[in-house]
Amino acid sequence: MSHETTTNRSLLSGKPLRILIGFILVVNGMFPALWILFTSLKTEAELTAKPITWLPHAPTLANYLRAFTDQPLLLFLFNSFMVAILSTALTLFISVLAAYALARLQIRGRDLILSAIIAVSTFPLVTLLVPLFEIMRALGLLNTWIALILPYTVLSLPVCTLILVSFFEGIPRDLENSAMIDGCTRLGALFKVVVPLAAPGVFTAGILAFVNSWDEFLLALSFNSNPMLRTLPVGITLYQGEFAFPWPVISAALVVGIVPVAVLIVIFQERVVSGLTSGGIKG
Amino acid sequence: MTLNNTIKLLLAGAAITLSASAAMAQTNLRVFVSSQHRPDVWRKAFDMYEAKNPNVKVTIETGGNTSEAQAQYLNTVMTAKDSSLDVMILDVIRPAQYAAAGWTVPFNDVLGDAGAAMKRYLPAYAEANTVDGKVVALPAFADAMFLYYRKDLLEKHGIQPPQTWDELAAAAKKVAAAEKDANLQGLSFQGKAIEGAVCTFLLPYWSMGKQLVSDGKLSFDKDAAVKSLKLWKDFVDQGVAKKNIAEVATDDTRKEFQAGNVLFAVNWSYAWGQFQGAESAVKDKVGVVKLPAVQGGQPASCLGGWEWGVSAYSNNKTEAQKLVQYLSSPETSEFMAINASLLPQFPDVYTDADVTKAVPWFANARPVVETAKARPVTPRYNEVSDIIRTTVNAVLAGQSTPEEGATQMEGRLRRVLR
Amino acid sequence: MATASETTLVTAHNESATKWWTRFLDPSERTLALLLLLPTALLLSLIIVYPVCRLVWTSFQNLSLTSGAPATFAGLENYALMLEDPVFWETTWNTVLITLITVPGALLVGMALALMANLPFKRKWPVRLSLLIPWALPLAFAGLIFAWFFHSEYGVVNDVLRRLGFEGVIWFNSAKWAFAAICLTIIWKTSSFMALIILAGLQTIPRSLYEAAEVDGAGRLRQFFEITLPLLKPSIVVALIFRTITALQTFDIPFTMTRGGPGTSTATLAMYIHQNTVDFLDLGYGSALAVVMFALSMGVTAVYLRMIRAKG
Repeated sequence: MSHETTTNRSLLSGKPLRILIGFILVVNGMFPALWILFTSLKTEAELTAKPITWLPHAPTLANYLRAFTDQPLLLFLFNSFMVAILSTALTLFISVLAAYALARLQIRGRDLILSAIIAVSTFPLVTLLVPLFEIMRALGLLNTWIALILPYTVLSLPVCTLILVSFFEGIPRDLENSAMIDGCTRLGALFKVVVPLAAPGVFTAGILAFVNSWDEFLLALSFNSNPMLRTLPVGITLYQGEFAFPWPVISAALVVGIVPVAVLIVIFQERVVSGLTSGGIKG
Repeated sequence: MTLNNTIKLLLAGAAITLSASAAMAQTNLRVFVSSQHRPDVWRKAFDMYEAKNPNVKVTIETGGNTSEAQAQYLNTVMTAKDSSLDVMILDVIRPAQYAAAGWTVPFNDVLGDAGAAMKRYLPAYAEANTVDGKVVALPAFADAMFLYYRKDLLEKHGIQPPQTWDELAAAAKKVAAAEKDANLQGLSFQGKAIEGAVCTFLLPYWSMGKQLVSDGKLSFDKDAAVKSLKLWKDFVDQGVAKKNIAEVATDDTRKEFQAGNVLFAVNWSYAWGQFQGAESAVKDKVGVVKLPAVQGGQPASCLGGWEWGVSAYSNNKTEAQKLVQYLSSPETSEFMAINASLLPQFPDVYTDADVTKAVPWFANARPVVETAKARPVTPRYNEVSDIIRTTVNAVLAGQSTPEEGATQMEGRLRRVLR
Repeated sequence: MATASETTLVTAHNESATKWWTRFLDPSERTLALLLLLPTALLLSLIIVYPVCRLVWTSFQNLSLTSGAPATFAGLENYALMLEDPVFWETTWNTVLITLITVPGALLVGMALALMANLPFKRKWPVRLSLLIPWALPLAFAGLIFAWFFHSEYGVVNDVLRRLGFEGVIWFNSAKWAFAAICLTIIWKTSSFMALIILAGLQTIPRSLYEAAEVDGAGRLRQFFEITLPLLKPSIVVALIFRTITALQTFDIPFTMTRGGPGTSTATLAMYIHQNTVDFLDLGYGSALAVVMFALSMGVTAVYLRMIRAKG
């Protein structure tokens, strides 16, 4: 059976229809981002003009300059990026192992374990805040990246594990069994055969874990008060005043914070996913 | 020398060395400063303190940029009984709650005659910072709500700044009829469910001479509450305030007034600096005056400002209290007024020559700040605030009538404050 | 096709032929399973188990920091109070309503987005990017941005309505419209979560299945219902479980858009928990509310898992 990536046969065909659909898709996803982009080029006064303006009347890059000088935006990005990458890597590693165990190995109480893992994600973070703070303090981890990496890993573990379980189960066992007959260890088969085949799932789990870490605010605010360790969500709130919410500057900071990440992921995804799944496995 | 004597000599020497080094030991104080109130200028005040007290070193810590985010941060840290902070700056509405939770240390011991000490400040601050006879925090700087108005428009139509709400309504209608500008609002105030909405409710209520909480007990006057809610709703119904006033937050009022679209605005002191800024359309056209009173009542404003408290989990309480007394002194208040434009908590500093030179409008500000009253001083203030602001928001959005709102408010408040 | 016994045969062969330490290179299934699940168990114990135990213990206590009194054991008192608390019932109902609206909503929209994104576009990156950006926009800012979009004066939505000849709606003046605005925002944001998971599932369906179906004469619609949907079921269920759990925990979007207003008509259970814990400092009551939210979520999850088992 061929495992080529497939594009679905849908009811619609024909180039003009596809272009319309593409247009709808792009507008739906990008409209707020585009709005933020335009706002980052406007002045504050323009925002209270009536009727409202869509495109900036007198585009200015002053907001971007302020975004970098009012606050150490690059530092925020750096901290967010490091914490997100490290916690994503840890999440993927741990959940790949756990998902393989749950998908392939006969374990008693498999359902119970799955439910327990899901149960973990049902507690709102705000209720676990103070005990977690005490744990991190007791371990001496306050004001370190690790203080965030560990909880973020736990945040994404359930969803990543479940996604991978469903992907692993969809891969026929004979592929890794043939690898093991060829002399591979079980773990070797896992990483050399199963994971590449489940690439779309691994990649999706990775994106979800990355964005979960990227977004998180409450723990980042409470655990890392050191200004050198501030992450992006916490940092962006520093552009506000007590009452003032300067949309133009904050939009500029958001653009700088979001777009490069998203573009990087898309490029990465193109290469990784299409590369791994278009080959097909002889079977 | 005998062994005994040698040992005694060694111990004596050790004791002397230890006590000498203790006298020279450095105390490190960590102070939580609100990052929206010029921590760079506070840093200079700390430097001056360090110069006079060489054995004390002060480090600043910040977390979050709004009163709410900072409360969230501090609540987490204090609930975990963390000893990393020695001094913290608190919004004026928080000291009662923090004291009840056992998070702050009272100042009565170091103040001597606490009553006399608190009398030096503007009167409302003694009320805001004293709980059960204990002084739980000392004022850092002051703030109050002002009535900003367009000098030019009032002059153009020969109107005096209003002294009652009825006069304000009449003035707004007269100007609206004459100017025929669809974009010009008569009055802008805060109707969104933010902390400022609590002030919105209390301003007329206080003006009628009523108190909401006395000695920690509820003293709700239903009639006054209905009248207060009705006052604001009537502004909306008569077109003096805009229909979507329930969407308006503090900075929306400021932005719209600054753009020249508002005749009268209720707002805090920070707005003044913005109105005189280069980007303002109303520069030099703004007047400031006490908030109007209800018919037959007294003018009342809402007290703002922030207070210094000493953490109960601090390892350096005595040094921390000393630092706070310095920070809450007339000298520091004058320094902060000149360099950070923070309103002073001492009445005399307003008319000090240097202050008037640096910030001339403070002289006009003083009579207004003197009419300010403290919001209910109770440990359960957050719940009281939630009740009041959601009710104000619901009434202004047209979801409840003023009567329904007042009834609901009473019921909910009684459950919180017996 | 290798069977389980063949696999065991392979393992046994290795064990007998080599040294004792090679057991760790190819251990028995049970040992391996334990080893593989160990990191998960360790991490969860550290980060979750202790805080949750603390939480449940606190829910049985009278612990309100603003009372200044120390914690006292109160048994089920907090839970009893909850049953009589009108705000609890209102916020729980709002949460359930949001879940009932936004979970199917996000599923439908997400499915549509995923199907559209899977079309053979020549340039794939704009489409992939537009699926990713809603997910990448931090939740709190998404709420603020849409609050601005729905602003009655300066918002885009009313601007478009006015250009089309309608009168603008004061969205946040009415419980009904505010609720609608919040649900729309949540659906927009979370449909990309659903779309990403479903798209990954779509990409693993072999083309040969469709080709075979074409040969058999099945139309496009039948192919969708008989091939696509069934094979997508695992992905859909995973997406649904987590979308439902996060829907029950909805906080950021209503918080930033309306603060629960007008009144408490758009306040959710998670907002009420947050308020009691962080604002009112009533840790006992807040913990009890959190335990109830957990029970709700677990109940729902159990239903989903049963649905998977039932359909085989």
